[in-house]
Amino acid sequence: MFLKQIFLGIVGVSFGMFAAGGVFTVLISVGLIPRFAGKMHVSRKVFLFEEAVVCGTLFGDFFSVFDRYGHIGDLVIKNQVFGKGNTEAVWHVLGLAVLMVFGLFVGIFVGCLALAIAEMLDTIPIFSRRIGFRHGLGIAVLAMALGKAAGSLLYFAQAVYLHGGG
Amino acid sequence: MVESDKIPSMLKNEMGDLGILRINGGFFAIISIWIVDRLGRLASMDLVCEDVRKERTEGMAGEIVYIKAERNVEVMEDDVLFKDMAKVYCADSHVAAKVKSLKVHRFSNEEQKRQVFSILKLIEMIQQACPGVTVENLGETDILVERVNVEKHKGFGQTLKIIFVACISFFGTAFTIMAFHNDVGINQVFEKVYELVMGEASSGYTILEFTYSIGLAAGIIVFFNHIGGRRITKDPTPIEVEMRVYEKDVNDALIETADREGKVIDVS
Repeated sequence: MFLKQIFLGIVGVSFGMFAAGGVFTVLISVGLIPRFAGKMHVSRKVFLFEEAVVCGTLFGDFFSVFDRYGHIGDLVIKNQVFGKGNTEAVWHVLGLAVLMVFGLFVGIFVGCLALAIAEMLDTIPIFSRRIGFRHGLGIAVLAMALGKAAGSLLYFAQAVYLHGGG
Repeated sequence: MVESDKIPSMLKNEMGDLGILRINGGFFAIISIWIVDRLGRLASMDLVCEDVRKERTEGMAGEIVYIKAERNVEVMEDDVLFKDMAKVYCADSHVAAKVKSLKVHRFSNEEQKRQVFSILKLIEMIQQACPGVTVENLGETDILVERVNVEKHKGFGQTLKIIFVACISFFGTAFTIMAFHNDVGINQVFEKVYELVMGEASSGYTILEFTYSIGLAAGIIVFFNHIGGRRITKDPTPIEVEMRVYEKDVNDALIETADREGKVIDVS
């Protein structure tokens, strides 16, 4: 029993290390964070961003692997953190704000990630070369962004995730 | 030097001899000697002058100026000096100082933020300032000069940007890892592995989940090579490396674009 637990422990550590390696190699090779830092002219603080990446990963890991302990909302409401009676109302607003911040930044990140991967595979240069595309790249990019937003809204509105688009 | 020294003295000697011969000839001879002597002196002076001039240009002509041009330069001032754009070495320190202090460009237009220079233009400038020197460039062939505002590097806006990027990094990666776990169905995988090893159903929160999280943390820390602002080894971190790669790509693209649009300052 004990030996089995040790074995499982070793297995778990290896899983974790390789998952980290795999996920972050993709993330680094698309060069997303350098690009943000470069655009914003804050490349001096790369160290801080790496810390944010590390903390963000651990945060996400906690909420997805230990989701039973991650019910902050339940915890807050059960303990009546903001005083009896009005906790629910306060938490409703506060929770919405947290979700908004989370959603906004995640959206920015995923949007950039999707395009960065497309760009890494040279989709846009190849296409524009094939069809002799010279001007109006800005419009194409805008169309792409609008398309992504529309697709995303449609996906959630039509609950595509429930039946895989079928 | 030897040659030119000899010629006037020989002339003088000849004149002297002539003079001795002519003294007996009377007053006319004396005058003529005087004139010849004067002429001789003038000639010799001329020769000396030419000599000095020759030495001056020759002193520079033999020199080799080594320059190592940078790829990307940031300047705070409007005036761009040569030393901002390249490292200069020359055995003759006067030549080196002269080259370093050459004014290459002036950002007179407020709108203009960057300018690309061709190394040929710089070589031409050196050649004009110090005729006859040989220029050896050991660095880049195109130089991107950017004018930066000093105030741009601090202030509230900057802090806001840093927080913004840090937030994207934090929430973005949190989401990425959650989406990844969701994609691979990590809880089911763990339950399956637990069942295979222990021969009993998993409670959902076993040592496997716990050690997985530890492994994940260890993996990232090893990958990014630092904990809480302290480096584990001396190597640059992956994002630092990627940052340099990105900067290099951007510089290349800017130079290429300027080249295509014909905005490079080059020799005509």
